Amino acid sequence: MERVVVSMQDPDQGVKMRSQRLLITVIPHAVAGRDVAEWLVRKFCVSEEGEGQRGVAGETPYFWTSTLWPAAELDYAIYLAKKNIQKQGALADYEKVQYDQLHKKLNHTWDLVLMQAREQLRAAKRRRKGDRLVIACQEQTYWLVNRPPPGARHVLEQGPERGARPASHLQTSSDFYKREIDYTRKALGRTRVKSSICLEAYLKFSSQRSSHDPIMAGCLPSNPWITDSVDYWTLNAPTVATPTKLRVERWGFSFWELLGDPVGRAHFMDFLQKEFSAENLSFWEACEELRFGGQAQVPGLVDSVYQQFLAPGAARWVNIDSRTMEQTLEGLSQPHRYVLDDAQLHIYMLMKKDSYPRFLKSDMYKSLLVDAVTPPETRRRVFPFMRKPRHSSPSPALLPGSGESAAASGGDEA
Amino acid sequence: MAREECKALLDALNKTTACYHHLVLTVGGSADSQNLREELQKTRQKARELAVATGARLTVVLRDRSLVAEERAEFERLWVAFSGCLDLLEADMQRALALGAAFPLHAPRRPLVRTGVAGGSSAVAARALSARSLRHEAEGDFDVVDLPQLEREILQVGEMIDDMEMRVNVPRWTVQARQTAGAELLSSASAGASSAGAMSLEERSGSCDPSKALAATVFSAVVLVAVALALCVAKLS
Repeated sequence: MERVVVSMQDPDQGVKMRSQRLLITVIPHAVAGRDVAEWLVRKFCVSEEGEGQRGVAGETPYFWTSTLWPAAELDYAIYLAKKNIQKQGALADYEKVQYDQLHKKLNHTWDLVLMQAREQLRAAKRRRKGDRLVIACQEQTYWLVNRPPPGARHVLEQGPERGARPASHLQTSSDFYKREIDYTRKALGRTRVKSSICLEAYLKFSSQRSSHDPIMAGCLPSNPWITDSVDYWTLNAPTVATPTKLRVERWGFSFWELLGDPVGRAHFMDFLQKEFSAENLSFWEACEELRFGGQAQVPGLVDSVYQQFLAPGAARWVNIDSRTMEQTLEGLSQPHRYVLDDAQLHIYMLMKKDSYPRFLKSDMYKSLLVDAVTPPETRRRVFPFMRKPRHSSPSPALLPGSGESAAASGGDEA
Repeated sequence: MAREECKALLDALNKTTACYHHLVLTVGGSADSQNLREELQKTRQKARELAVATGARLTVVLRDRSLVAEERAEFERLWVAFSGCLDLLEADMQRALALGAAFPLHAPRRPLVRTGVAGGSSAVAARALSARSLRHEAEGDFDVVDLPQLEREILQVGEMIDDMEMRVNVPRWTVQARQTAGAELLSSASAGASSAGAMSLEERSGSCDPSKALAATVFSAVVLVAVALALCVAKLS
């Protein structure tokens, strides 16, 4: 905004400026009102006593509204006191209200307010009358913008474009309040967790996992971003023959971790097959496929799941309690992706409470822990200048023969 | 008496702060010049001296524990006014620094805003320094040289405020203003009392409209009387 003002006053390209006679005083640099676009007027002041043409002058930078110096209450109180003195008590209504409020709020410094008001008026009198009028005018505009009278648009909060809002009185009807009451009632009934419990859980989580975090505890064998060796990623790939020790330990943290890791899920499936309860996990996997699969496959998948797992004489019948089974069978007539959610949750909790602890205590898991690898940390090379050269892609500046093949492979990668 | 002395110092500081505020208003505008910057520097120097003196006096008085309650209340009122004045001065100095840096007087890339203020401000500065008039010519690049000095002074004023708050503990809520709302209207008639005698003559020359109207009515009454007398004389002779 300031840039606009300064560019407007540029001697070559700015708006035409002329001196305007204001009764007997001359105010230089006044711009005729019709030269200025309407939405700029709020930044400029209009001289009140001009007869005929209304003139406008640029605002002094002290009064440029800025977020660095928000308009202070003390300054407003001094301004109102000055206005009170000048107009002999004839302030506007909203100004009188503000004046009384400020008097209550700033009662302890009211002496200062009055002293400053008087002194500022006296200091202003030492200037030429024209200057005094211009400065007073600019101060008035500043306070009109920063403390707008009631009913005027608060231009600092709403921009010039946001004027056309629909009538808001329609909203505040009894319906609106009824909805508000319902909403707040429901909000009161929300379950809340005490922050002490939350924080305890958070601490437990952090302490349990701090040794698994690559940033907190370092990653073995080495950080790929630093040493350029991708061993870390190959060792921790989703499907790898021998998982790392940290990974196997993580399966013991929660059931969700175990199911989320493909290798863990495979081992868990083996364990369940030994226990003859593998259909639970298969059912759960089928439900996941239904939830996240394509929309077109939903009816077919629901049918196959029903045939395989839920029908009375099914090959791999899962053990769901009667109420959930009834609800699921009812919902199957109108299949959608979440129709098996209740059953899936039931089976999940069953596995979590029953099979999962047994898995963790089983010999299979213990042997997995023993077999898991702990990659050693790569030794730091003594001679740093013998490090492998770091290239994210093959350098194009190779021999012409190999250069083309390198460029082709580089182009494939890119 | 300590109270009168403090009051006089505070009044002087108040006057200087108001004049400084008035001078800062025109920084960056069309009336900006090297002279203005120098006037700003002189005014704030005076203000700082007064602030240090007032602060010292008030601190000495308020740390004296053998004060009567009414006297203490009186001095606390002065203290609150003094710290408010210092805050205003600091805010104005910060604005002067920002505006002075944003509107350098030499580089033509950012021309001064044409604000319609053309006259000089030397009269305001003269009032601040309690001098009759101010005749001086500032050097060519005074504003650039002055900015670091201004920054240092702002820091000093800030330190002074903090220091004062540490030394003297005056709770603001216990201080009651002596003047009521609207008190300035009653005492506006006696506005010229606190300034120096030489200044008050100039102020009355720019007086407000009601007294002008009064003078006009008196003059017209005199003219009417003279006309009536002339008619009588003409009738008689």
